[in-house]
Amino acid sequence: MFRVRSFLAPKATVHAHCDLPCGVYDPEQARIEAESVYRIIEKMGANSDPTFTARAIGIKEKQADLAKHHLDVLWHDYFKPEHLEKVPNLHELFWNATKQVSKVKASTDLAEAKKLLDMIDEIDAAWRATGGNEKTRIQHATA
Amino acid sequence: MNARKPRPAAGLRRLRDRGATRRAGIIARARGPWRVVVSESSMAPTILPGDWLLVDPTTARWPRRGSIVVFREPDSDLLAIKRLVAGPGDRVELDDGHLILGDDEAWLVSDAMTAELLAAGAGQPVDSRRYGPVPVGALVGRAWLRYGPMDRIGRLAPARR
Repeated sequence: MFRVRSFLAPKATVHAHCDLPCGVYDPEQARIEAESVYRIIEKMGANSDPTFTARAIGIKEKQADLAKHHLDVLWHDYFKPEHLEKVPNLHELFWNATKQVSKVKASTDLAEAKKLLDMIDEIDAAWRATGGNEKTRIQHATA
Repeated sequence: MNARKPRPAAGLRRLRDRGATRRAGIIARARGPWRVVVSESSMAPTILPGDWLLVDPTTARWPRRGSIVVFREPDSDLLAIKRLVAGPGDRVELDDGHLILGDDEAWLVSDAMTAELLAAGAGQPVDSRRYGPVPVGALVGRAWLRYGPMDRIGRLAPARR
C-alpha cells in the first residue's frame, strides 16, 4: 500500500500561498530605514545649503514611508493572534511606532527620530520574545 | 532595387508566428508536471493543502473563465495555482478603475476570501491583485481532477466565483 502511495504521489508542488512565501519578517528592515532618517536629520543640521535641504527632505520622506511600510507588514503578517499572549501591548507598540513615523516625517527634530528607533527596538524585543529571531533569521557566517 | 525575399503580409506572418510559438509551447509543456501537490490554503475551500491534482499541461491558451490553472508566478517563478476569473480581452474591475486585459493575458485570483486569510494570520493572498495580469507564457496547465485524498476525489469543475 505504501508503495502504491509513493508511486501515485506528485513530484511537483504548487503554491496557493499568501503573502511572502519565504516567511522572513524582521524589524531590522524598519530600523535601517529609521536609522537613515535619523542620519539625514543629523546631516540637515550641519548643512544649510537650500538644495541639500530640499533633497534631504525628499529622501527623509521616502525612507520614513519605507519604515512605516515595513512596520505595517511586520504587524499584519508576522504577528499572529496567539502572540498577543506573550506581548499583550503589541498593538499599542505598533500604533505608537507608526504614529511616531508620521511625527518624524513632519519634523526635523533629532530627538523624535531617536524616539522612533527606541520604539522599533521595543518591537524588536517583542519579535524576539515570540521566536522571530530563530524562526526567520539565517545566521551570518561570521559573528 | 530590393533583393530581399518578399515577406508575407503582416496578418499572415502573425498567424504563422503564433502557430510556431504555440507548437513550441505545447512541446515544452508536455514535459509536465502532470501531477502536483498543493501547499498553502489560498484556494480554500475548493482546494486544500495536501491535495493531489492532475494537470493538463497540453493546453496552449488560457482555458475558459472559472478554470483553475497552474502557472509560473511572475514575481517568484514558483509554481502556483489560482483561478482564472478573467481571460484575454476581458475587463477587470479594480478599486480605482478598470483594466482591459491584453490578448494573451489573464487575471488569476485566489478562492479564499481575503478577510478569512487575514484572520487566519496568513496575510494577503498573492495573486493578480498583487502582481497584475499574467501572460500566457507563464501558463503551465489546467488543473482538472483531484485524485487524493481518497474521500475527496473528483473533477475540478470550472466555476464562476
